[in-house]
Amino acid sequence: MRAAIRGLGIVGGFGSGIEKLKHTLISGKRTPKLIQLSIKKRTIEMPVYLCDTSPLGAFLNKRALRRVDHFSRLALLGSFLAMEDADMLQADHENFAIIIATGYGASNTTFSFLDTAFDDGDACASPTLFSNSVHNAAAAHVSILLKARGPNLTVSQFEMSVPSAMLAACQWLEDRVADAVLLGGVDEYCSVLGYCWQRFFGADPPVSMKPVEWKTQSAIIGEGSAFFLLTRDEGDEPKYGFITDIQIGHVRKYKPQSPGDAFLFLGADGQKSSGIYYNRHIPHGARSAVYTPLYGSLPVGLAFDMAIGALSVREDTVFATPKHAGKDSGLNIFGKEQCLNSERISCLKFSCDGEFAMITMAGT
Amino acid sequence: MELNEKLKIIIIEELNLEDITPADIADDAPLFGEGLGLDSLDAVELVVQVQKHFGVEIKDMEEGRVAFQSINALNNFIKERTTA
Amino acid sequence: MTPLPPIPVTGIGCLCAAGNNLTECMKSLFAGKRKPLPPTRFSSDHQVAYPVFEIRKTIPATRSNQRHDILFTAELALSAAKEAAENAGWNREMLKNRRVGVCIGTTVGSAMNNEEFYRSYRDGDNPNMDPIVRFLNSNPARAVAREYNLTGPCQTVVNACSSGTDAIGLGASWIRSGICDVVLAGGADELCRVTYNGFISLMITDDSPCKPFDANRKGLNLGEGAAILVLESTDLCRSRKHPYHATVLSYGSACDAHHLTAPAQDGRGLMRALNAAIGRCNRSPADVAFINAHGTGTPDNDQVESFVLHKMFPGIPYLSTKGYTGHALGAAGAIEAAFTIACLNAGKIPASIGFENPDPELPAAPVKHQTEVNGTIAITQSLAFGGNNAVVIFGKGNS
Repeated sequence: MRAAIRGLGIVGGFGSGIEKLKHTLISGKRTPKLIQLSIKKRTIEMPVYLCDTSPLGAFLNKRALRRVDHFSRLALLGSFLAMEDADMLQADHENFAIIIATGYGASNTTFSFLDTAFDDGDACASPTLFSNSVHNAAAAHVSILLKARGPNLTVSQFEMSVPSAMLAACQWLEDRVADAVLLGGVDEYCSVLGYCWQRFFGADPPVSMKPVEWKTQSAIIGEGSAFFLLTRDEGDEPKYGFITDIQIGHVRKYKPQSPGDAFLFLGADGQKSSGIYYNRHIPHGARSAVYTPLYGSLPVGLAFDMAIGALSVREDTVFATPKHAGKDSGLNIFGKEQCLNSERISCLKFSCDGEFAMITMAGT
Repeated sequence: MELNEKLKIIIIEELNLEDITPADIADDAPLFGEGLGLDSLDAVELVVQVQKHFGVEIKDMEEGRVAFQSINALNNFIKERTTA
Repeated sequence: MTPLPPIPVTGIGCLCAAGNNLTECMKSLFAGKRKPLPPTRFSSDHQVAYPVFEIRKTIPATRSNQRHDILFTAELALSAAKEAAENAGWNREMLKNRRVGVCIGTTVGSAMNNEEFYRSYRDGDNPNMDPIVRFLNSNPARAVAREYNLTGPCQTVVNACSSGTDAIGLGASWIRSGICDVVLAGGADELCRVTYNGFISLMITDDSPCKPFDANRKGLNLGEGAAILVLESTDLCRSRKHPYHATVLSYGSACDAHHLTAPAQDGRGLMRALNAAIGRCNRSPADVAFINAHGTGTPDNDQVESFVLHKMFPGIPYLSTKGYTGHALGAAGAIEAAFTIACLNAGKIPASIGFENPDPELPAAPVKHQTEVNGTIAITQSLAFGGNNAVVIFGKGNS
């Protein structure tokens, strides 16, 4: 499984675009916003890594976006940024494939659709909201606006959405079903999600994420999109390097195998239920980083770690784990920026029931 | 408010036509195809809005084609079915 | 392009309104039976009750581990998986020792849209969290993998109405690339008030039994069900000496890039997907025995398909089986794949039920009566919201 990464587009609580991501990695600054939530008859404030999609205005006018919801805007912004970064916005996209991975889909629109039926009766349920609530609406908007006519796929597998999507992308490139694949992970915040979070994890939201403290529930909801423009290996040196290996398995039978001395980017995101797996399965002494405090906890978080990995390859630099990610419990978590030296990076993500994915990236 | 004006506001707000005002919609201009450039999804959304705001049902897109010819046509359609 | 190695289908499980297993379904189809009725599991305040194809018989219990409360969609997937695995001669122990992938298409199965929960939440009450837990435990591919202790790749495809077809195509590619020895691939979807209201709001539903390709067609009827195919590598199939019902010869997929809900009238995406599939399967259009069309019964969909089929496969019989099952959304492509295999091996296709009066606007009509078919391959195609077009081509089996 191999693919060249030629463009990156990223939108998170920290802002949008590669340079914004790079500055955030250098500064280590965490940027959740406080939102108000009603729970059990009281109002609480909860931090959420919310995104601003207004930069989409640079690519698309208001008329083109009039029926496009927040979820699809996240997807469109990530897509257009990746295409621009790859210098492919003006190219012919006839043979481009689109793949979107999402944990929860367009949940805001799903509930807005229910609102229209609840408020005014079933006969007043909005068809526009219904069509946009279907999971693959975002991929449809991307393909329509980019005129991409190759295969189009949306997958939803919670934390394993991104790795299974990557598998499909590499397969399509290998089989020559498409000349390029625009692949992204997208997830959005909605108030129902926030409510559920509080009901499941306790009404006092964490002040900040400490993902390395495996036994603590410190996850903070994030939203955003991370898109990659992927092609076959064409024998050149793409600026973001390559995806060189994809492993998907379950700890019941397999262990994640990190190649040699690869740097490990851990997708631990303050969820106690998956934290235990990182604790048990990270090779002792492996140089590790955890970047989740910069973008939050969301099912497609692995795409963000991969974007950071791709940026690291471009800069030949591995960025420091943001401060206060938790007390280092015997792991070799690097707190200082260091040279990548053309070594490999493996991004590792566990789900709460023991599934894992490890995606390895390298400059060559 | 005059019905034509109300219809234009509903169309602009519910179909999210942020870039135009009621003054931009001529009473007898076609709503679909050229002009406002609305499409089939807008048509079914308008059917729901007409139901919601006026309690008038548009049974199928045959009726819809007649009702949505223009603002005037929609005005007549609604008036016929609410005074009956 | 080099043709793809065929992938054996060693087991099939299928349930929908037409029957609780594939044999029952095919019996209903060839008997020309159908009975869509207003939904019984939920009500709505529409003036008219739109008929749906509901599964009315209790489906067989499927789970060894009753720990998780799951959505009906996941139950359907498990039921189809059980029939398919048994049909393929795989028991739990044997599957545990193999690298087995699961690839399932769905729409409702991945939608967190429990109305009772949301209503209570909106009212500022303290809703019971069980519906959320149930949703989190009901990802169909994960539910099947959990039930059988499978540790290979697991993917839930949410490509709207083409999900089932896409899942089979993707699953076959996992076998070809050596990632898996066995893949359980298919689709599952349950009837639900939210999709019922949604499709009615789009004005593409029929308030009488649907009439795919008929001059008087008004729209679709929703349905529910699941189907799973057991795909495995040729080597494994040979070493087990197990017969196979069919082979997956190829998969083609393309996007219209035209509109969120309406298909491109020139059929460009469908033609592209068909050409891609034909191109990879090392056979010619003359080998095609029949085509199982998407055939929902909506004016737009049927128009496009008839135009494309007439252009690409003139004279080759085609049908829609949605007149027997309704449109089961994420499950549709998989159910139709199961039917396609059964018909290819039987050498006959049932009548395209609901079709009585040819539409002068449609250049090609489906079969009005049960029809004998010749040919070694058959095509199943699905068109989805968002303009996705998915095609799978099957070759005959040896069973």
